[in-house]
Formats: sequence, C-alpha cells, structure tokens
Amino acid sequence: MTPSTSSASDLPALVLAGVGRRFGALHAVSDVTLRIRTGERRAILGPNGAGKTTLFNTICGDYPPTSGKITYFGADISQLKPYRRARLGIGRTYQSSTLFNGLTVRENLYLAVRAAKPGRFSLIKPGPGHADLARVRALAEQVRVDHILDARIDSVSHGQRRQVEIGMALAGVPKLLMLDEPAAGLSAAERPELVTLLADLPRDLTLILIEHDMDVALANSEKVTVMKDGVVVVESTPDKVVDDPVVQAIYLGEGH
Amino acid sequence: MIIMSTRRWALTAIGLVILLALPLLLPNFWLVNIFGRALVYGIVALSLTFLAHYGGFVSLAQTMVAGVAGYSVAMMAPTAIPLGDMALPYALAIPLAVFAATMAGAIVGLIAVNTREIYLLMITLALAVGFSLFAQSNITWFNGYEGIRNIVGPEIFGRPFRTPLVFYYTALVVAALLYLLVLYVVRTPFGLVLQAIRDSDRRTAAIGFHVGLHRIAAFALAGFIAGWGGVLITFYNIGITPSSIGLWATVGVLIMAVIGGLGHPLGAFIGALIFALMDTFASTIIGHDRFNTLIGMVFLVIVLLSPDGIWGVGGRLAAALGGRNRNKNADGGATR
Repeated sequence: MTPSTSSASDLPALVLAGVGRRFGALHAVSDVTLRIRTGERRAILGPNGAGKTTLFNTICGDYPPTSGKITYFGADISQLKPYRRARLGIGRTYQSSTLFNGLTVRENLYLAVRAAKPGRFSLIKPGPGHADLARVRALAEQVRVDHILDARIDSVSHGQRRQVEIGMALAGVPKLLMLDEPAAGLSAAERPELVTLLADLPRDLTLILIEHDMDVALANSEKVTVMKDGVVVVESTPDKVVDDPVVQAIYLGEGH
Repeated sequence: MIIMSTRRWALTAIGLVILLALPLLLPNFWLVNIFGRALVYGIVALSLTFLAHYGGFVSLAQTMVAGVAGYSVAMMAPTAIPLGDMALPYALAIPLAVFAATMAGAIVGLIAVNTREIYLLMITLALAVGFSLFAQSNITWFNGYEGIRNIVGPEIFGRPFRTPLVFYYTALVVAALLYLLVLYVVRTPFGLVLQAIRDSDRRTAAIGFHVGLHRIAAFALAGFIAGWGGVLITFYNIGITPSSIGLWATVGVLIMAVIGGLGHPLGAFIGALIFALMDTFASTIIGHDRFNTLIGMVFLVIVLLSPDGIWGVGGRLAAALGGRNRNKNADGGATR
C-alpha cells in the first residue's frame, strides 16, 4: 500500500499554470499559478469579486480558462467539458444552492451516484435493494441528511441543502473536491458540524475550499491562498496568514 | 415497480373503467368526435407536456413531428389518393411512420440543443411553420395544398378502423399505454436526469451527465409519442393536409396542454377534451360569427383563474379537502 500511495502523492493533484479568464474586457482571473498536492487541504480566501468562484469555474469547466493551462493528475484538462471533468473525479459545490428543487433529497443524491457510472440513459428503475440506493443511504449518513431522504429539496432547511450539496459532490468518489463557501448562510450551531464533516473526509481526497468565514477556512486547511482582483496575492500557512500585512489590509481595510 | 401510490392506482382504475364503458353510455358522435378526437390529439399534447413539465422544454414542434408520422403513413398507405409508388401494408407503414417521427424529434432536439425558453419557442415554431409550408409546396411527395386523402387505416380483427368502436378503443389503448410510458419513464434514471436538467442544467453537467445528449433523447421520446398521435389523427381525418399541421394546429396543441395543465401528463387529455368540446359546440351556442370569441374567452378564463390549468384546479381542491391530514403528517415528520 505504502509504495503506491507515495508514488501517487508525488504527482500533484492539480497544477494551474498562468490561468486566466476574461469576460470581454473584464479580467476576472489573471495569471494564477497554483500547485496543489494530492491529499492537500487548501483554502482560498479573498474579498468579494476577488475571482475565487471564477477560478473554480475554470477548474470545473463551467467557464474554461481563456489563457494558461490546468493539469489534473498529470493530464491537461484545460478545454474539457464540465461533464468530462466530473467523470475524471472533480466534484464541486456551488455558492448558491443549485440543487434539483423538484426532486427529493434521495433523488438528488441518487442522480449524483448514477452520474458517476455508465448506464446514464437507463430506462430501468432500480429495485429497493439496488447497490446505488445503498450508496445513497451511506452518503446521506455521511452528510447527516439520512432522516430527510424523502423530503423535497425545496422543503428542507438551508443548512441541510448545503449538506446535500456536499453529499452530491462526494457521490462520484471525487479525487478533487471543491467547496464554494460551504459555511455561507449557516447558523452558528451548524458551523461546527460542517467543520467536523470536512475533517472526517478521507485523507487521500484533495480539498479546495473557498471560504469567507476565516474560522472555517483556517480550521480546515493546511495551506491558504489569498486572492484579490483576480490575482494571487499571498500563499501561506493558516497560522502565518492571519499576521500577514497584505491579508490584514484586505480584510480589515475593507471592513471584514 | 410502483409508478403511482395506491390511491392514484384506485383513481386510475375508476377512470379506466369509465372510459372503457363509454361506448355503452354515449352515441357514436360523442364517442368518435369528442372522446376519440380528444384521445388522439391528447397524445400529441402529452408529448408536449412530457417535454415541458419534466424537461422544461416548451417545444412548438410537436405538431410538426406528429405531421411527419402522419405524412409518412399517408405516403405508404395502401389506399392513399394519390397512391405513391411505395405502398406498404399498414403493419409496416405504421411502425415506420412512428420511427420517422422519433427521428424527426431527435433532429428537432439536436437543432435546438443549446437554446432555452423563448429562443427554444422561436426555433421550434420556425421548424413547425417551415415544415408545413414545405408540405404545402411540395407536389411530388406531399401532394401540395390538397394533401393525401383516403387514409382509412388498417382493419383490426377484421373490422375497418373507421368503425366507431374500433377507432375509440384503439385510440384509448394507445393513449393509455403512452400515458403509462410517460409515468414510468419519469421515475427511471433517464427521467430523473431530465428533471435535473429542468431544475439546473449546469449542476447536472457538474455531476457528470451529458446534458445535450439527454435533451436530444428526450425530444426523440417525445417524437415517438407524438408520432402515434400523428398516425391516429391521420386515420381520424381520413388523410392529412398541410393546414392540419400548420400554425393554427400547432397553437391548438399548445392550448390543449396549457388549459389542461402542464403539471401532469393527464392534463394533456383533459385539455384536449375541453378543446374538442369547445371546437364542436361553440358555434351552436353563440353562432358562426362569434364562436372563436367564445372559445378564446373560455381559455382566457381558465388560464387566469388557474395558471396551472384544469389539473391545477383539481390539485388545489384536493389540497383544500385533504389539507388537515396533510398538515398533521408534516408535523409528525418534523418532530420525528
């Protein structure tokens, strides 16, 4: 086990080389270079409009980069379609919940399980004992929504929706998981639960976290990247980043 | 496999018994020209409801796709006037016509694969009008403005298709099978993906589904459904003309689906029944000069009072009557 693990972790999970994304004249992200180890926990911080979510969109393919190169476990994925990247093991959540509102929690999770394997056009309903449904149950327990499986998504709480989001991103057994502000809108009581949930994720999973909430971000990361105006301004460790003068200027100067 | 709850099954069974018994209760005119007509046009409306409710695609090309099947079966019919040079027995012509409609549906889906909302409406409308005008101007295959006549349909158990009982029961069986097909498909992985695309196509792609291929497949399935409608409508009208698949026919199917209620596949048939009733009797109620005004007013009132159509009225009545029970259940669920 040890030799294969060490050789796998030598290969970085994700390398961004000079990645940029333009929308007309607007450079939402410019010249971002990042190297994220396999199994690393990375937080991305920055004020609103810093380009954090756009960076996620270039990595998952919603808006492919207009310049630069994205390498995922050694393969160039810069121009792949989003569904292809998802099938390679890139899972993500969205900042504002974009779940399937007309469907139940179970159906949302089931679709995410189903998307990760062949037979996506299947016209056969799974029987009650089907392995996919067992997997749905396991996922629901992992993200603590197993008591509301039959509720429609638009009838469950905001916090529960965020948990379903994470469950769906985990369904494809991702190698790289990107969470876009998972703590946004959560109550003070729900936050520690999210931190535990994130801490319980398997160690070989690479995690990138966009977070506004410093406590959640620093508690769940080994390395922190700070962005402002579409560029990376600081890359550091959680204990050093809070003392960094540039970071303090960004966060205190803009009233955060 | 459970497609419906026990109560739904019971209601469905009662409805089916009534529909099966209709020939005992109604004169032939009602059987064929109201209920039979509602069934065959309802099938085309069903294909629209399937696309609109489960996929979020409001397509105006469903009448055109039905027309592809109608013209195909007419060209191949052994009794057609003018008789084409590729006459086939109905046992072959009907499946081929439905296949042609399925392909036509896939092509519409492919052309419109990246459009949504008003742009999807415009593209499908353009295809519908374009096909109707093409049929009108093409003499060699479509016989131009006159269309193809004398499509009497096959004999079933030795009885001509035009016999009221044969027509009614055939339409009923085909409509019921397609209705059950829709109810089944939307619970399968494929059907769930469609609903996922309706709710968030971006998210559907982010978890690994090819949204475009699913859209095309949905349009193909809708084409298959509409194709059966197109074949039966052609037998009902004893032929097909360009105007029967033109703009007014296209709008007619949209009206059926909307007044019946896009929220449930049954709405398509309810809407088609109301449409058939209004279209048949409005002129006797108010006279030939004003009957379109009456039809328009009735549709306007239905849509204003219940944006989700007649099906929506039923749903709200059920909610009002069963409201107390439902609240009790919801509370129980929350405290569990």
